[in-house]
Amino acid sequence: MIEEIRTKARELLESGTVDCVIGYERATDGINARPLFVYDAAGADRLIFDQTCTHNLVKYLRNRKDKVTGIVVKGCDSRAVNLLISEHQIEREKAYIIGVVCPGIVETGWNKKSDKLRDICQVCRQHTPVVYDFLVGEPPASEPEVEPYPDVAAMEAKTPAEREDFWREQSSRCIRCYACRQVCPGCYCSECFVERLDPLWVGIRIAPKENEMWNSMRAFHLTGRCIGCNQCERVCPMNIPLSLLNRKLEKEVAETFHFQAGMDAETPAPFATFEKDEKIGIGE
Amino acid sequence: MTVSNPLLPHLATLQEVIDLTPDVRLFKIEPNDPAVKESFDYQPGQFIFVSAFGTGESPFGLTSVAYRKDSLEVAVRKVGTVTGSLHELEPGATVGVRGPFGNHFPMDEFKGKNIFIIGGGIGFAPLRPVVTTIIDHKADYGDLFILNGARTPQDLCFSDEFDTWSASPGTRLELTVDAGNDDWTGRVDLIPTVVRELALSPENAVAIICGPPIMIHFTLIDLKKLGFEDRQIVTTLEGKMKCGLGKCARCNVGDKYICQDGPVFTMEQISSMLEQF
Amino acid sequence: MSQYISKQDLLSWLGKLRESHRLAAPVRVDDLVLFKKVERVEDIALDFDNTTLSPKEFFFPPTETLFYADRKDGQVELVPAEVTEETVIFGIRPCDAKGIATLDLPYMEEPGDALYQQHRDRTTLIGLSCIKACPECFCTSMGSGPDDASNVDIMLTEAGEGYIVQVLTDKGKAIAPQLAEKDVQAPPAPAVTPVPSEGISEKMREAFDDPYWGRLADRCLHCSMCSYVCPTCYCFDIRDYNENGRANRVRSWESCQSPGFTKIAGGHDPRADKGIRLRQRFGHKLLYFPEHFGTMHCIGCGRCVRSCPVNIDIREIIQDVQKLGAQK
Repeated sequence: MIEEIRTKARELLESGTVDCVIGYERATDGINARPLFVYDAAGADRLIFDQTCTHNLVKYLRNRKDKVTGIVVKGCDSRAVNLLISEHQIEREKAYIIGVVCPGIVETGWNKKSDKLRDICQVCRQHTPVVYDFLVGEPPASEPEVEPYPDVAAMEAKTPAEREDFWREQSSRCIRCYACRQVCPGCYCSECFVERLDPLWVGIRIAPKENEMWNSMRAFHLTGRCIGCNQCERVCPMNIPLSLLNRKLEKEVAETFHFQAGMDAETPAPFATFEKDEKIGIGE
Repeated sequence: MTVSNPLLPHLATLQEVIDLTPDVRLFKIEPNDPAVKESFDYQPGQFIFVSAFGTGESPFGLTSVAYRKDSLEVAVRKVGTVTGSLHELEPGATVGVRGPFGNHFPMDEFKGKNIFIIGGGIGFAPLRPVVTTIIDHKADYGDLFILNGARTPQDLCFSDEFDTWSASPGTRLELTVDAGNDDWTGRVDLIPTVVRELALSPENAVAIICGPPIMIHFTLIDLKKLGFEDRQIVTTLEGKMKCGLGKCARCNVGDKYICQDGPVFTMEQISSMLEQF
Repeated sequence: MSQYISKQDLLSWLGKLRESHRLAAPVRVDDLVLFKKVERVEDIALDFDNTTLSPKEFFFPPTETLFYADRKDGQVELVPAEVTEETVIFGIRPCDAKGIATLDLPYMEEPGDALYQQHRDRTTLIGLSCIKACPECFCTSMGSGPDDASNVDIMLTEAGEGYIVQVLTDKGKAIAPQLAEKDVQAPPAPAVTPVPSEGISEKMREAFDDPYWGRLADRCLHCSMCSYVCPTCYCFDIRDYNENGRANRVRSWESCQSPGFTKIAGGHDPRADKGIRLRQRFGHKLLYFPEHFGTMHCIGCGRCVRSCPVNIDIREIIQDVQKLGAQK
């Protein structure tokens, strides 16, 4: 698998088809992966692909809008490509997509070796990228039948008081480093609502009430757009289970609109679409 | 050890508000505490933080001169949240003042020299105290040349002082705008063009320029062509500031803090800075 | 012979301190170890590597009110914030204690920051030396070491079933308990992997304009995590909040990496470029701060290395800068 990726990257750079390939290389702990930007064919030898390649590299495509960029994407990542195309943030022609049939990513942490698949990967139904120019790996004959939202169901089963206590404790931990926002391909506003001071939505205070506002409003802004890579949760230094918020909304959107973000770049997203006579059953 | 909190502003009262241009107001401020007012000493080039309580605080160059023992004057352009709040205030309102901060124009080093003051738009505000000081002590200085430019005639700052400046002996005032209007009979030229045309001589001279980065950039080119050396050109740098004390680590240009080592720098100092903005 | 306290007596002593002081200590919170105000001494983690967040939050809180401005009848009255609580921090590692000493330098430089000084005056530090070093620790290359007792009021070193105790300052004496004498040796200090920090400032100056920074910044997400977990980072933002006619001026953590950190009203941003923005962090840490204050702006705790989601590793950067600087 890795040889195919390296060969393709070398070929793309040598032919001048792209001026950069974004992939993965080994991190300094010798165990995990980190993003790699390869600008010359020789650098392709540093590319790796294994179950520690957790990062969603699509975030970086927006920075490179004017150039053609090669990029390695997994199943979930590829949906982010479609999301950004549908929102006019990137052009399909500006990306050469090296799709990888993903074996599932393990839980990663500094200097920690793990064989356990991430929770989100255990319920994955999209191992094969939905958009690509070149596919690496053998697509599975079928996707597994899985209970898609066991984590959300478990939270829904708690009482409102239990949930309130849970989120109050979690919000008190947040330090507003915004790693969740910065790593997310869906978060690209040139001025985030949290930085807006006039009108003031949240402000700069790092305190439980403001933290709660921050995390819930970001999840709401991703409703119908989150593609479930769960990088937000992975990067959080305080181990806040942010994916629960996004996935609750994802479940609601799936049940109400029968819609999953990023499956293609054409289908209008529910919260980015307005039709004069649409009725969705709320308030009737 | 008790340290009085240098982030605590002095309470001050807005004495007068004067419209200089459609979006620039001159605020005349006096600290409420007589001891603070009396001891508030500053030099041309220094700045203060003015607080609009409830909104925040921003830095503004002092445009008055301390030796006249008048109010503290700052020119405020309405361009953001704090300046927006300040523009809503009327005389009698309470504001906060902290300062003075920063270094200052080396007026002593300018003595005996020909001084070229070149300012664009609200960039003229920090230059005004230099003009005032020189005109009030004209015998100490050589010739004074003032070039005040703006985008349009109504954006020219301190127009009610132009006659005073022109009338000063050994002083020449040139005004210029990027675009005129029906009433404007003066120059319609970019500042660098005027500099080039008037062929200012670098002999025993200092050029002090302040204005939008692009104006400074092109004016520098023409000044250098006329033979001005980096150490003869003085300007002020701008940066986002929060504390004015060198503690919030925000306004540095390389290893120089604008609030401590600046805002006044010579081009010689700027050229050797680690960061080139 | 050393002064000694058993583990049991340690917990009793801390329990008593809790009654007269705010006691903060490392506490397990799910999978994390964090400094928290201690409710029960049994909650204190004695066996941990280091906390996720540094103890700088007790001197430079994430959010802190500077003063209130009360408006009444057209008059404004300023009410400055004051620190009144006496605090004891237990379990601070030598690197983090050096971190506090490093924060002292900008904050106490004239004119001193009043609130920081008050926090400092009212806090006593009980250190816990390191009997093992993590692979990402490099304190010895940054002017400290696993048994460095220079910056704490009392130092504890684990030995046998208890701790050797060094009472080092008057503040330490004021809270120290009765101690036994015991014939016990401190274990040898663990080996710490070195990082080539010698002469790094000069090399940083040489490597300043290298395209290396742009390439490094390619993968940087420009979140604020490195600055926030760092014991020595001290940038802050200041804003006013209006609450029922009372204006509250608040200072909060901010990072030079945050997009818009240097953006001024009118829209100009001199560090809009990612490479220039990332270079600022390392310029400050390896060059500007050491040249101004005479000490590195990093204490080798390794938190940024552990936390960075994209493996921007200051140890790797120091090695790279040494090489780049030598080539110029």
